[in-house]
Amino acid sequence: MSLPLAVLALPFVSFVLLAVVPPLRRAGRVAGGVSIAATAVAFVCALATWQGHLEGEQLVPWIPGDAGPMATVGLLVDPITNAMLVLVTLVSLLIQIYSLAYLSDEPSPALGRYYTYQSLFAFSMLGLVLSPTFLQMFIFWELVGLCSYLLIGFWYQRPAAARAAVKAFWITKLGDLGFVTGIVMLWAATGTFEFSTLFRMGAAGQLPAESLGLILFLIYLGAVGKSAQFPLHVWLPDAMEGPTPVSALIHAATMVTAGVFMVTRAQPLFALVPDLVWLIGTVGAFTALLAASMACVEHDIKRVLAYSTVSQLGYMMAAAGAGAADAGFFHLLTHGVFKALLFLAAGSVIHAVGTNDMFRMGRLWHGLPHTGIVFIVGTLALAGVWPLAGFFSKESILAAVWGAGRTGTFAVLALTAFLTAFYMFRAVFLTFFGHAHAGGHPHEAPWPMRGPLWILAILTLVLGLAFLASPPPAVEAHHGPGWLGPFSLGLAAAGLALAWAMYQQRAIAPASFSRVLAPIDFAARRRYGIDALYLGLYKGLILGFSKLIGLIDRYLVDGLVNVFSALSLRSGDRLRRIQSGQVHDYVYGVAFGVLLVVVFAHWWAR
Amino acid sequence: MTTSPFVLEVGLGILMLCVFAASLVARGEDRRHIGWLATAGVAVLAVVSMTLGPSGPAFGGAFVQDGLAVFAKRLFLWATAIGLLGGMSQDRLPFLRRSGEYHLLMLASLLGMFVLASARDIILLFVGFELMSMPLYALSGFVKRDEMAVEAALKFFVVGSVSSAVMAYGLSFVYGAARTTSLAGVAKAFAAGDPFVVLGLLAAFAGFGFKIAAFPFHMWVPDTYEAASTPFVAWLSVTPKAAGFVALFRLYFEGVGDRVVFWVPIAAALATITIVAGNLMALPQQNAKRLLAYSGIAHIGYMLVGLAAASSNGTAMVLFYLVAYVFGNMGAFLVVEAVGRSERSEHLSAFRGLAQRSPLLALAMLLFLLSLGGIPFVAGFWAKLYVFWAAAQQGLYWLVLVGAVLTVVALFYYLVVAKRMYIEPPDRPDPVALPGSLAVAVTLCVLGIVVIGVWPKPVVMAALRVAAPLF
Repeated sequence: MSLPLAVLALPFVSFVLLAVVPPLRRAGRVAGGVSIAATAVAFVCALATWQGHLEGEQLVPWIPGDAGPMATVGLLVDPITNAMLVLVTLVSLLIQIYSLAYLSDEPSPALGRYYTYQSLFAFSMLGLVLSPTFLQMFIFWELVGLCSYLLIGFWYQRPAAARAAVKAFWITKLGDLGFVTGIVMLWAATGTFEFSTLFRMGAAGQLPAESLGLILFLIYLGAVGKSAQFPLHVWLPDAMEGPTPVSALIHAATMVTAGVFMVTRAQPLFALVPDLVWLIGTVGAFTALLAASMACVEHDIKRVLAYSTVSQLGYMMAAAGAGAADAGFFHLLTHGVFKALLFLAAGSVIHAVGTNDMFRMGRLWHGLPHTGIVFIVGTLALAGVWPLAGFFSKESILAAVWGAGRTGTFAVLALTAFLTAFYMFRAVFLTFFGHAHAGGHPHEAPWPMRGPLWILAILTLVLGLAFLASPPPAVEAHHGPGWLGPFSLGLAAAGLALAWAMYQQRAIAPASFSRVLAPIDFAARRRYGIDALYLGLYKGLILGFSKLIGLIDRYLVDGLVNVFSALSLRSGDRLRRIQSGQVHDYVYGVAFGVLLVVVFAHWWAR
Repeated sequence: MTTSPFVLEVGLGILMLCVFAASLVARGEDRRHIGWLATAGVAVLAVVSMTLGPSGPAFGGAFVQDGLAVFAKRLFLWATAIGLLGGMSQDRLPFLRRSGEYHLLMLASLLGMFVLASARDIILLFVGFELMSMPLYALSGFVKRDEMAVEAALKFFVVGSVSSAVMAYGLSFVYGAARTTSLAGVAKAFAAGDPFVVLGLLAAFAGFGFKIAAFPFHMWVPDTYEAASTPFVAWLSVTPKAAGFVALFRLYFEGVGDRVVFWVPIAAALATITIVAGNLMALPQQNAKRLLAYSGIAHIGYMLVGLAAASSNGTAMVLFYLVAYVFGNMGAFLVVEAVGRSERSEHLSAFRGLAQRSPLLALAMLLFLLSLGGIPFVAGFWAKLYVFWAAAQQGLYWLVLVGAVLTVVALFYYLVVAKRMYIEPPDRPDPVALPGSLAVAVTLCVLGIVVIGVWPKPVVMAALRVAAPLF
């Protein structure tokens, strides 16, 4: 267990160093070096853990209670943990290297702050995946939430970034409220937070049948918030106000997948409540389609990718809802790689042209060939084109859903796959080809940025080829019908063709298309009114309610508190006067005390 | 392994001789080294104490080295090591010229605590009690030219003498009725319900009430704390109190069986008035040391809540509370010393903008305040939680309620200090000068509260283990 512990400890040491040694932190690039070195060693340790199959569980009592420990902490290493450890450390490492160039214009103290947060994030995320108990997972869950808040608001001088950070924090908190209530209720019902004990109890039918549904639903709410499922998905697009590497790491590859990870981890529990599993799948599929449709009308390249992330998270949840959490988790891993790639490539584009708006880009292929190639590799993977990594994971999800007999969900996911190909190639054509001109002379980013891009691109390709050679267990487990492969390739091709016709050939005018689909277009451009609905709810209901509470607080509660505090202060002042400074008064005090004790004993003691 | 029960006492005796010899030969600046000698010696003893286990009784059962005694001595040693370290940087002339005297007195008092923690005999208990107390009077007025200090020491001495007299008087009743000086015999007589033993024990409570500074025996506390030198007060505010509680357990709890419930209403009543009075009187204070003095009284009230539980759980939780309190309270006093040295003022306004001037020192102080206020995850949180828990097990819900409500009041005055440090602008931009030894002492205290706060289990388990045999 020392290797997994090292994986966890290294980023923490780096964080503590940067946090408590101000000169190191203010040195900016040096701080980056410390953080990168720690993450690199952690990555090696994670690889060794994975290769060595160092699996097992170690628990130590933490909070003593009346009968045995009230809570335990420890490490749980199993195959899914191992995969996550490698993914998190790898992507963190690449992104920290990338950031060195991407944020090179930042002043040193800000850069140091950035790497402090990055180290804290790596520690928190690794702690989350290593958690053997719900409680420990929740602690790290909140820590990653905190890092997300800090990093979205990294440019806190910009009002939009500050607002987005607060929005992300509060919306996810809404889900976390359910999560924490759920795990406390679970503890009250079972007396333990440990996964292994809970699974054992579940298998033996010792879990309380009547309340389990509610408890797990509440726990699932945590995943809804963190993994941006409908209706709590609204924070993720706004979270793009943070630096692009942050979006790649936290809001695409790792943190947002925590919800999917938790559902995968607790799969044996969720499986006990079929209705909830159905709900998870349905919400997931709906989220996938909803987000994909919004991605089709978005102008901002990062937001396209953000909606696509929401959509893919929905995909993973849909797999979990079909009882195939392993397929969902497999997609989580491959998606982590190629979505990080897409974000970093988008970052490279933004770095070159200085805008996020795709309609103000175009023909960047000539200026940015490297970025163009890797972006297309990522796009193909996301669209599910054979033989890239995304093809296999998407395929196993579709096969699992079809195999579970959920035709409706399958249809929704198929439509989503088509839309995915469409909006991604729309982005490719608008950015790298097309007719518009970006101003200036865009040029490739320096190697610290290009290197991670290529590594991720090659990994996307190599992973796909590796899966081709030896199919992973999730693919083995979910064999679809023979027509499924060609069918999904056909969907991708159709999406590509439509995007090509609309944005490259201009054979179909987007405007006429949106006239045909007017209501959907209208709604999608306005994010289906969900953000507005929240705003309305917030302004009307919550603010109104808050004002009411505020009045009660100001006049009733404050009144009472003021009376109490004035009373306390007054009596404190009075009492103080017995401290006369006269030594005979002090001796009277002793005499009075003895008398008090004796009288008391006489009265009350029996 | 069987070791002599006197290892620590003998070690301390040797250390005292060394310090004495050193003070005879050292001249001028060399006298500084006496302090280092004493500190290093106590630190070595502290480390040695961690390896010691309980061993058999001596003097026919009058002196025991059981789990409780070992636990208490470890606590005394660590507290004294930190206290001596914190006092190393005192630069007023008497502390240099009479360094040998200062350290010898502290070690003598420590020896008294050792005896007190191990005493199972009335005479030994009383001798240990006085051996602990006498040096404290002298140390309070150590700076003889400081009129305030001398006055405070005199008050301390007068109140202490009266308390000791009442205590001795009470103990004579106990001896007269129980016809034995052995605490085991006294416990038997008390359990049998002998009225004179009960009366004697009640009177003896005055001595303990004075030592732990429960209301209304507390009056010496604010004056003495304010006037005496701060590092000494840091030590005075925790270590003798811990010794007082250990002796309380010995005299009032050990071996009395079910009759222990006799003490519940008395302890509960004292706990209530001590918590209420301590917290309320802390509110209007503007001097950091007086504020901590009153807050310390309130903390004694919380420990009395554990005492009122009159159970092995309650006793264990008081011991745990003492550990948390040692680190939290000493730490807070040591920060006051650092700020006081640099600003020449112990008024709360000296803390203005400390967070901008010395961020780490301010953070340490904040942690101490949070621990004293009982915020998770620093040690003080568990301490409060556990004593409340023990009291609730005994059915003393109203006492828990009083304690919890007054905790809010306590948070107010702790956070006022935090506000001074973090929100108000500093008067001067330069950082507070922090001598190395003081910094190490503060760091040790921070480590103590943070480690115990995150990982309370070992200490809780140890406390439960040593408290169980008393009942």
